[in-house]
Amino acid sequence: MNKKLLITTSLLAALFLLLSFKENEAALALEKTENLFRTRLEEMALSTDQLEAAAENLTAQNTSIEKLRQAHLNARIQYKKVEFLLTYLDGAAVRKNINGAPLPSVVPNVPKVIEIEPSGLQVLDELVFSENPLEEKEKIIACSKKLSHDFEEMRTYQEKVKLTHRHVFEAIRQELVRVFTQGVTGFDTPGSANAIPEARAAFEGMYDAFKNYMPLLTEKDGGLAIVMDARMDYTLQYLAEHDEFESFDRLEFLKNHIEPQYQLFYEIHKALGIEFAEETDKMPRAVNYHAVSLFAPDFLNAGYYANLDLKEPLMGKRVDLGKTLFFDPILSKDLKLSCASCHQPEKAFTDGQPKSLAANGKEHLKRNSPTLVNAVYSDRYFWDLREPRLDRQMLHVVMSKDEFGTDYIEIINKLKQSSEYGQLFSAAYPEYPEYQISTYTISDALSSYVASLTDFDSPFDRYVRGETSVIDPAVKRGFNLFMGKAACGTCHFAPTFNGTVPPTYDESESEVLGIPTSPDTLNALLDNDLGRYASGIPGYKADFYKTSFKTVTVRNVALTAPYMHNGVFQTLEEVVDFYTRGGGAGLGLDVPHQTLPFDKLELTQPEQADIVAFMKSLTGDMSKFMHPERLPIFENQTNWNNRKIGGQY
Amino acid sequence: MTKKMTLLFALVVLCASANAQTLFDEEITIPAGFAPTEIVMPPSPLTTQVLFIGGTDMVQTTPTYGNPAGEQVAKEWHDFIGFTPDNSGQSLGWVTVNHEMVYADDLLGDGGGMTAFRVKRAADGTLDIMNQTLPDGRTGKFFNVDFVNTVGETGMNCGGITSMVDGRIWTAEEWFQSSNAGIYSNGGGIRDTSDFVVSSDIPGWDGKTLKRYQNLNWMTEVDPRNAVAIRKQYNWGRQPFEGGAVEPGNRIVYLGPDDTPGFFGMFVANTPGDFNRGTLFAYKHDKPGWKWVPIWEDGALLDHKNYADAKGATMFNRIEWVAMNPKNNFVYFTETGLDSPGNNWADDEAAGGVHHPAHIARAQAQGLSSPSDPNYRDYYGRVWEYNPMTSETRVYLEGGPAFADSPTEADYPEKALSNPDGLTVMMIDDHPFLVIQEDLNGTSKGRTPAGVSNRLCEVYLLDLSIQNPTLDDLIRLTAVPNGAEVTGAIQSPDKKSLLLNAQHPATTNPFPYNHSLTIAIHGFDQVSYANLQNLADRNSAADPEMPAVEETAVFSVYPNPTTRTVFMNKVTDVAVYDASGQRVLVKRNTNELDVSSLNKGIYYLKNTEGETLKLSVQ
Repeated sequence: MNKKLLITTSLLAALFLLLSFKENEAALALEKTENLFRTRLEEMALSTDQLEAAAENLTAQNTSIEKLRQAHLNARIQYKKVEFLLTYLDGAAVRKNINGAPLPSVVPNVPKVIEIEPSGLQVLDELVFSENPLEEKEKIIACSKKLSHDFEEMRTYQEKVKLTHRHVFEAIRQELVRVFTQGVTGFDTPGSANAIPEARAAFEGMYDAFKNYMPLLTEKDGGLAIVMDARMDYTLQYLAEHDEFESFDRLEFLKNHIEPQYQLFYEIHKALGIEFAEETDKMPRAVNYHAVSLFAPDFLNAGYYANLDLKEPLMGKRVDLGKTLFFDPILSKDLKLSCASCHQPEKAFTDGQPKSLAANGKEHLKRNSPTLVNAVYSDRYFWDLREPRLDRQMLHVVMSKDEFGTDYIEIINKLKQSSEYGQLFSAAYPEYPEYQISTYTISDALSSYVASLTDFDSPFDRYVRGETSVIDPAVKRGFNLFMGKAACGTCHFAPTFNGTVPPTYDESESEVLGIPTSPDTLNALLDNDLGRYASGIPGYKADFYKTSFKTVTVRNVALTAPYMHNGVFQTLEEVVDFYTRGGGAGLGLDVPHQTLPFDKLELTQPEQADIVAFMKSLTGDMSKFMHPERLPIFENQTNWNNRKIGGQY
Repeated sequence: MTKKMTLLFALVVLCASANAQTLFDEEITIPAGFAPTEIVMPPSPLTTQVLFIGGTDMVQTTPTYGNPAGEQVAKEWHDFIGFTPDNSGQSLGWVTVNHEMVYADDLLGDGGGMTAFRVKRAADGTLDIMNQTLPDGRTGKFFNVDFVNTVGETGMNCGGITSMVDGRIWTAEEWFQSSNAGIYSNGGGIRDTSDFVVSSDIPGWDGKTLKRYQNLNWMTEVDPRNAVAIRKQYNWGRQPFEGGAVEPGNRIVYLGPDDTPGFFGMFVANTPGDFNRGTLFAYKHDKPGWKWVPIWEDGALLDHKNYADAKGATMFNRIEWVAMNPKNNFVYFTETGLDSPGNNWADDEAAGGVHHPAHIARAQAQGLSSPSDPNYRDYYGRVWEYNPMTSETRVYLEGGPAFADSPTEADYPEKALSNPDGLTVMMIDDHPFLVIQEDLNGTSKGRTPAGVSNRLCEVYLLDLSIQNPTLDDLIRLTAVPNGAEVTGAIQSPDKKSLLLNAQHPATTNPFPYNHSLTIAIHGFDQVSYANLQNLADRNSAADPEMPAVEETAVFSVYPNPTTRTVFMNKVTDVAVYDASGQRVLVKRNTNELDVSSLNKGIYYLKNTEGETLKLSVQ
């Protein structure tokens, strides 16, 4: 290297060095945040100890009950202040021991069924705020003791965890989703209904951490800092002034607080130059961090659920091929049925039947045909959740004697007789020529198509995103009931309004509702379909999974009547009435593991009508999902060329 | 590592604990003519080949349930892989793959399943699947192992045994069945639930009548050459088996049952190779002298757990795979763990089962008197070592992150060991390495890094010459598909390839890596022992191949093409920019950087001090 070049290089290197920012302020912000985290953990540990003491001192006196309730509420508030980081760092442990749903579960990934009794703050919320807590004293003591123990174990561990900047901002954005979907809905305050003050505590916790980054942000993007500063005051004040559960306006809160901050914190994350998760590990995630609205069409990654890379350049061809296959009765034994027979686009891919017609044209299948629009957003499929993979979902239909009644070998042999199909497959799957028309490509094309059947463009979505400024007041009231008093949103989680659990959206829930065989409320009989328990998955053989069914989406329900796994209800009004009565148990049926509260919801007729109006506002435009214009030709099987697009029925 | 170096490292770590937390620009402008020191990451010596795709490849079937022989799509959910060497020289050998997916099938047979195929080494170093015609007339590449017409159906075929002596294969089923209704599973499982009449060459078993479910959960020997099952090993007891190993003398089989409690087992044959006659033992650490107790009472084979309890056998928390070091016959087994085992073995303890001192010590460290306490936690599991000379067992590698003592901060999350499951020994450059495969029981307590809620299962190599390894000694095998849950690893007899199954792979991998498949990683004959050493050992005088990296003021790195890792001379925050100046990777507080996700090309590495190096990935 000659001298001149060396000098130039050194100069350039020096220039490069200058481009790096001051570390001190960044390191300081994080250090302060870590210290705050530890302090908050200590405060919560203290509050759980106080709760335990209050439980042990419980007597029949009102003051002692009041003390217990205050100690419990205080423990919950302390938890809420640290919830964003604690659940981000170890959501699974929080769900299991600290603030999980008050429902039993099974130990995952063990070759036998081991049931776990629920414990933690939600169980306590129900017990402490029951009519006579003294009757539950033993349980309350045991539960609060376990909480102290489990929390202490968690704390001693989490204190040692090293945070990075990314964690802080991802945790905050995740908490915004949680506050909206599981906080203000009353999801985790089943007894106390103290949801709104708790939401305020959650915001305080987040803001206290974020404020450590304010000097840095001011330096990098003063405008953003000023906006965020004003936002924090605005939200804390709003929550202080509107702290009553039933009257809380969730839609206003979503539009004026959650949505703007979900976007702002993303912009701040970026402006500070903090790396994103995909730069530190290659794990797929259900939530697309780069989406700036909870109601953005790309808020969730459809590819995550379908195990597909949607950015694959051939994806368009695969979706088109999948669509052709979807409407082609060539897949069924006698060329009469196609996927579209039970999943018709104009009915949001349902068929209008209580239970779909079987292949013989006479009998009916076991269950109602569910919508496929947004069905991809689930970690397992079918009413009984028996299939974790979308691409294998089709196998069940192919093999079922009442459905396609065939097998893949027969299907492959048929498809191979069409050179037109051959071309479509080779264009969509050019690599691995030995697998061109195979189980893999057929199921992959179909799941690519189903993964493309998404819609977040209903009038309600457009209103939330600010694309329209007007909404029917009934829809607004209905949404607020759905997400509040009526408690629909505690199982049908926004924004998919199905059972895929926020804020990570990577697990699908099922519920026991006690669904009857007929809409007759006077002489109700429990439907004997055991659902998840009878799915054939050995790990689901727990009693509390009997008659448990997948929580399906309420998007597009205006098009998908009749409702429930057995199609028992013809109208949405009937459905809302069923929930209002407290489900099967409310009708007097013996449903020991019902997950829907047994007590009546006490919704007035106008309130019920508002909820229906809201659900109807979640209807997308199905005309974008068209039938294909023609089906491929079979050159040597001319009688097959008369087959009907979408099947005969 | 010399003392001086240790000191130096301590110093480096100390400096780094200042925790720089550098904010790197998302994009940088690379000045024209900018020419920092260039480091070359040579291409990996390892290449990957797909051998067998579950649910897609066709297998040849025997006449089953009245249907003629034919062809069917293979079952899925691959787990164990057996490799039976071909000593004739005509091929490399026969491969058998277990299917954990249970369903009723008229051609494959109900229940679980297994697929067999034969491979030979091609001129280009890959493996060819051979066309075969079997004695029963089946012709093709992949063959369904016939259980239905030989020994009766099996349940969920999970782990198994490849004998290191002669490649005999046994398949195991961990999900313990306790009723006919359970195996029938509404017609989706095993449809024939009539009593099963045993036909067997094991003394005392021929003609015995069992309830159908009782014919499950036995170790089952299969013949990979003919793709048929040979016998259920009734004399090894009915247990929720996962793994096992045969010792070179061909007299002892070690057995691992996946249960809490799981009893480490041993079957000793009367004559070498004849495993139909012999004695079954359970391990009992506190027995004076030889630490094994016989389980030979009438009825004990069908009711193994109760008899093991009564004999005071040592209780483990879910034993999975068992492997043996061919250099010294030491046995290793994984104890995968169960988060809260207390209630699951409290009854067994009352019935006589005993806790290992290692579990008692762990319980005491948690402030509890016994591992049977409901508050006892076992989140990560561990790897055990059994010494065949002394019959002593010890924890060889404790799982974790414990953070207080291991791994070092710079090594987490790259070197966290959670719920080890699959285990095999692999010879690289004539050195034995454990191949440890995780199967996470959950994501809590650091089993996945912060903010990651789905399970991330890794494959690690561990040098068996290390007497007391720590998590920092683990070597992550980055050649396996990204995010895939890997099982069944086994080395080919010529030591060139590692075969493994990828079960629930991630979206980031294109077809066929998003399927249930068996793959081979080739090129291990090109890997030297020195190539696999950890950072700490790079300065060891014993490895002259490794250039010493000195603690210098100037940022310098050393790339390891095998592990796709760039080692740095100091602990720092580091960002990687691509040729266009876009930030693509950030790693904090580290002295090594996994670049396996980077495509070929030019990159820039920038550290906390702003020092920049050019990295050419090839």
